[in-house]
Amino acid sequence: MNKQRLLLAATLALSSLSTRAAEDWVRYTAQPAGSQVRVDGTSTIHDWSVESRLIGGYVEFDPAFNLDHPAPGKVNARVAVLIPVRQLKSDKTAMDTVMYESMKEKDHRKIDYRLIEMTLKEPPKSPDAPLLFDTKGELVVAGVSNVIQMPVTVTRVEKDKLKFTGSTAVKMTSFGIQPPTKLGLFSTGDEVKLSFEWVTAKKEAAAK
Amino acid sequence: MNKNETAELNRRDFISSFATLMTMLGGVELITRASAQAADLETLVPFQVKCGVICLGNWGREIIATLTRLKTAQLAAVCDIYPASLKRGTNAAPNAKGVDDYRRILDDKEVQAVVIATPTHQHREIVLAALQAGKHVYCEAPLANTIEDAKTIALAAKAARRQVFQAGLQMRSDPQRRFLLDFIRAGASGKAVKAHAQWHKKQSWRMTSPNPDRERDLNWRLRKDTSLGLPGEIGIHQIDAMSWFLNARPVSVTGFGSLIQWKDGRDVPDTVQTIFEYPGGPQLTCECTLANSFDADYEILYGTDAAIMMRGPKAWMFKEVDSPLLGWEVYARKDQFYRETGIALIANATKLANLTEKATDEAASTSSPLYNALEAFLTNVNSVSTAVEDFTANFGADDKAALEKYVSNIKLQPAAGYQEGFEATHLAIKTNEAVLNGGKVALPREGFELT
Repeated sequence: MNKQRLLLAATLALSSLSTRAAEDWVRYTAQPAGSQVRVDGTSTIHDWSVESRLIGGYVEFDPAFNLDHPAPGKVNARVAVLIPVRQLKSDKTAMDTVMYESMKEKDHRKIDYRLIEMTLKEPPKSPDAPLLFDTKGELVVAGVSNVIQMPVTVTRVEKDKLKFTGSTAVKMTSFGIQPPTKLGLFSTGDEVKLSFEWVTAKKEAAAK
Repeated sequence: MNKNETAELNRRDFISSFATLMTMLGGVELITRASAQAADLETLVPFQVKCGVICLGNWGREIIATLTRLKTAQLAAVCDIYPASLKRGTNAAPNAKGVDDYRRILDDKEVQAVVIATPTHQHREIVLAALQAGKHVYCEAPLANTIEDAKTIALAAKAARRQVFQAGLQMRSDPQRRFLLDFIRAGASGKAVKAHAQWHKKQSWRMTSPNPDRERDLNWRLRKDTSLGLPGEIGIHQIDAMSWFLNARPVSVTGFGSLIQWKDGRDVPDTVQTIFEYPGGPQLTCECTLANSFDADYEILYGTDAAIMMRGPKAWMFKEVDSPLLGWEVYARKDQFYRETGIALIANATKLANLTEKATDEAASTSSPLYNALEAFLTNVNSVSTAVEDFTANFGADDKAALEKYVSNIKLQPAAGYQEGFEATHLAIKTNEAVLNGGKVALPREGFELT
C-alpha cells in the first residue's frame, strides 16, 4: 500500500515537473500578415507559380535556447506548419482547379510540416544578424509524407517577432502527385521549388 | 514547300498548341476548337456555391438557366411572389426550394449567395437585407432608380468586406471585352476620337397579364416612376463599357427621347439619343430604339489609327491607311463590311493560328455575357468564403482588420463591384434625366464618388 502511494506521489511529481517544463517552452505563433509561401514549377511551355499568404502553425523553443546568444549545434525546438491547399493560387482559376485535383485537395486539405531536428550552423556575426539553421522535417502533401532537409534563416523583425525564410526543391512524384500533362501538348516538370517567408510572434508558453 | 514555309507552319502549329494550353490554364475563352480541347477540365467540379435566385421573371429564368449550366452553381432556392412565376421557376430548377418570400432564402444558412433580379426599384430593400444576412450578392444593373438608393446599396456593399458584391454589368466579366480593353489601352487604335453605341430592336417591352394589378407589377419598365427606361435597361451596359474603354468618366450628357411606336399608355420613351462628352474631347453617341431593328446592336470606338467595332462576342479592327503595321494582322482573318475590311479581333488574337481560318459566322465565344458574369461571381464567392474560413481556422476571427486585409488581397475574377455598379447607375440615372428633360446635364466628378 505504502509502495503504491509512493509510486503515485512520484508519478504526480514527475508529471508536474513535465508539465512545468512544457509550459516553460517559448512559443511563437503564426501571424496573420507578412507570410508568403510560393511554389515555382516548370513545364515544356513556360514556367508557372502559385502562392499563398496564409501559413498557420507555431514554433516552440526549449527555454534553454537563448535567441539573443544562441550557441551553435542542435536546438531543442518544435515546429508545426500548416498551409491550406486551396489558398495556393495562380493567376488562372483553371490551373488552380487542376492543381487542387492533383493534390487531392478534397481529401487532404492542408500541407503539413513537422520539424524533426534543427541545428544552428554558426553563431550570429552580430546581435541583429540572421540565424542560419539546417533543418530536417516531415512534409506531408496530398497525404504522403517525406522527410526533407532545408536550410532556414531566422530573422528578428521586431522585438517579439521572428521571420523564418527558406526554400527547397521537391519532386511531385515523391508525394504521389502525377505532374499534370495535357493531351501530349505539354507536360509539367516533376521538380518544384518551395519557398516561404513565415512571420511568427512570441506568445507565453502553451500548456501541452 | 520551301524552308520558310515549313518554319511558318511549325510556328503556327506551335502557336495553336500554346493557345489551347492557355485556354486550359484559364486564359480567355477562344473559339470552339480551343474550347473542345479543354474538355477534360470540364469534368472537374472544383467547388459548388449554393445559390438563391430572387424574382423569376424572364430575366430571372434566364439566370436560372445559366446557373443550371454552371457546374460551380448549386441552385438551392428560387423565389417569386407571383405563383405562376414561381411555378415556372421551380420547373426550371426542380432541385431548388421554391419560396414566395425572399426572407426565407436569407434565413436559410445553407444558401451562400443570392442573385437579385427584381424590378430595379425593389433592389434596395433586398440587397440590404441580403448583405445583413451575410449573403454574397449579385444585383442586376442598374442598382437602383434613385441616386440615394444606389449610394445606400453601394455603401452597404463596401462595408461588407467579407462578402462579394457584384453588379450585373456583364461586359466587365466578358473575356473578349477584357482582351479588347488591353488591346485598346496598349494604343492599338491610336488616340481616342469618338465612340458610338447603338441598340435597335423592334419590340414593345409590354408583357401580357391576367389582371390590372399584375399588369402594373409586370410592366414596371414602362413607367418612369419605377424605370430608367432605355438608358437604364439597355444603355447602361454600353455606356459603362465605352467609358471603361475610354478610361474616363463623362463630364456631361445631352439626351433626347421620343415616344413614337408604342403609344400604349407608357410614359417612358421608346427611342432615345444621347451624347456624352469626355475630358479631352472624345464624345460618345448612344442611341436605343424599340421601334426599328436595323443593324441591331454594337459599339464602335474610333481612334486616330483604327476603328474597333464590337458586336456581341465578336470584334473587328478597321485600320487607317497611315496607321503603323502591327505585324500579326497580315495573317489575321478578314471580314468584308460593304467597302471596308475588318480585321477579326479574337482574344489572344496576336498569338493565334486560327486567325488564318476563313471568315465565319460562328461566335468567337460560346459563353454568354451572363454566363461569364455569373461564373466570375461564383468563383469569387468561393475564393472569398474559403479565404475567410481558412483565415479564421488559423487565426480566429478577433483580428477583423487582419482578416479583411487578407480577404482584400485575394485575387478575384474580373467583375463589376459596388463602385462600378454605383458609377454606371449614377450615369444611367443622369442620362435618363437628360432624355426626359431633353437637355444637357452636367456630370461633376464628385457625383461618381461614394461618400
